[in-house]
Amino acid sequence: MITFTIDGYEVQAEAGQNVLEVALDKGFDIPHLCYHEALKPYGACRLCVAEVTSGKRTRLTTSCNYPVIEGISVQTSTEKVIRARKMVIELLLARCPDAPIVKDLAREYSVGRPRFTADNDDCILCGLCERVCREVVGPDAITFLGRGSSRKVGPPLEINPKTCIACGACVYICPTDCIKLKENEKERTIVRWGRTLPMKTCVVCGRSFAPWFQLEYFRKITEGIPKDFWDKCLDCR
Amino acid sequence: MEPTNVYAYKLVSRKEYFSPGHRACQGCAEALAVRLVGKALGRDTIAASATGCMEVVSTPLPFTNWNVPWIHVAFENAAAVASGAEAGMKALMRKGRLPKKKITFLAMAGDGGTSDIGIQALSGALERGHDFIYVCYDNEAYMNTGIQRSSSTPFGASTTTSPAGKVVPGQVTWKKNMPEIAAAHDIPYVATACPSYPIDLVQKVKKAARIKGPAYIHILSVCPTGWRLPPELSIKAGRLAVETGIFPLYEVEDGRYKFTVEVGILRPVSDYLKIQGRFRHLDEGMTGKIQKRVKEEYERLKKKVKMTQGD
Repeated sequence: MITFTIDGYEVQAEAGQNVLEVALDKGFDIPHLCYHEALKPYGACRLCVAEVTSGKRTRLTTSCNYPVIEGISVQTSTEKVIRARKMVIELLLARCPDAPIVKDLAREYSVGRPRFTADNDDCILCGLCERVCREVVGPDAITFLGRGSSRKVGPPLEINPKTCIACGACVYICPTDCIKLKENEKERTIVRWGRTLPMKTCVVCGRSFAPWFQLEYFRKITEGIPKDFWDKCLDCR
Repeated sequence: MEPTNVYAYKLVSRKEYFSPGHRACQGCAEALAVRLVGKALGRDTIAASATGCMEVVSTPLPFTNWNVPWIHVAFENAAAVASGAEAGMKALMRKGRLPKKKITFLAMAGDGGTSDIGIQALSGALERGHDFIYVCYDNEAYMNTGIQRSSSTPFGASTTTSPAGKVVPGQVTWKKNMPEIAAAHDIPYVATACPSYPIDLVQKVKKAARIKGPAYIHILSVCPTGWRLPPELSIKAGRLAVETGIFPLYEVEDGRYKFTVEVGILRPVSDYLKIQGRFRHLDEGMTGKIQKRVKEEYERLKKKVKMTQGD
């Protein structure tokens, strides 16, 4: 067990945990957009900044990827931290003025109209969709494209992502809801990636239940399951 | 079919706020629903729970399953207690006695505590506009006391107080449409959910927590004991309820209706009725009557969706 302090309170954590993880678990209110407990920390949104004092040195750092170290002291809401956080929110608001989650944050931290040129993007480049596709799902169908101000997330070379199974994990995790999924009897489309997959119908009841390509992917990665298992819908299995 | 039904499960919080070890029956979908609601709301939640199954199974003195503050109140006033807690916390935060923080207030009750006994407290709380979530776990009878009928029991179901016999075919009245009653209060958010569609349920609860003002979520919780159903079929029964159109999954956001789980072709209601012992006595004629009613209600809901999403 590692003992350190957050805002003056002594807390204990397992080795290998990160500061944000522990702080959220103990009920400290640190805003974050790119952190998810099932994924590796990435440090993209910079909202979880905190002042960490280690030895004689105090510095502003992202708490999501700062490992817990014996004896450090973390300050989550000093003036410096709030100023940095407000700046980040202002930049996010300039980038995505219509995203509800960013607007909520701006209201909470009383950030008004941003001083920067307004853009009307809907993606905050948190990278959650890219990480979930790589770490949790596996096909690694989307990636970061470009650099600097033209950086964005999308399928490699911006063509139809050949490995995407349209599972919708990216749709679920997106904090700004900018990835949309459309489905009807015939096909399922992930609108942002331009991926359309035809749906398979159940051999027993004739209702469509999942994309063909997705079921073929499962057939490939699973072993010891009867051949016709993936041909039937959930109720007919 | 729920589109995000494959990998999104792995992204739901791993922390438990309704911990394992409770005394619910095998296959209880209500316990599953409570667990998912807890996961969706997170640790900053205060729950007020009416009498019912979930109170009995989770807090036999001196044990508790709850990892969040939890108040047990009488059958009729879960909504009143949650609104009082909300108003009290708001006042304490305004006076600076407590640090300002976003706290979610959850009122939970079964179908008896919602549609029979607790309806006036619920109606009052919805009308006053408290910022809280009311979750009704609907298992379609008073299961905790031994399967007595409630106003939420569906037509034709046999319970101990509406037994099926030669003259009376079980419950003779139709199920009270509670989500519509809540939606008639013009509150910001009303939704129906089912633990057989967990990601849909989690998303609805998260949305309800985010929205300011009262929110009502009606969760169909399959009760294998009371529905005379093998426990391993409880998830399937929930799915069939949705796929037959008996319990459509929709949400009403600011008066706009929207289906959250689209069902292409409805299954015949007999698929759902025949696996349950409480409907065992139903003949062709009764099943036909139920089918007709389900179809009519589903068409009416479809019209509402079309009408309110049109502009």
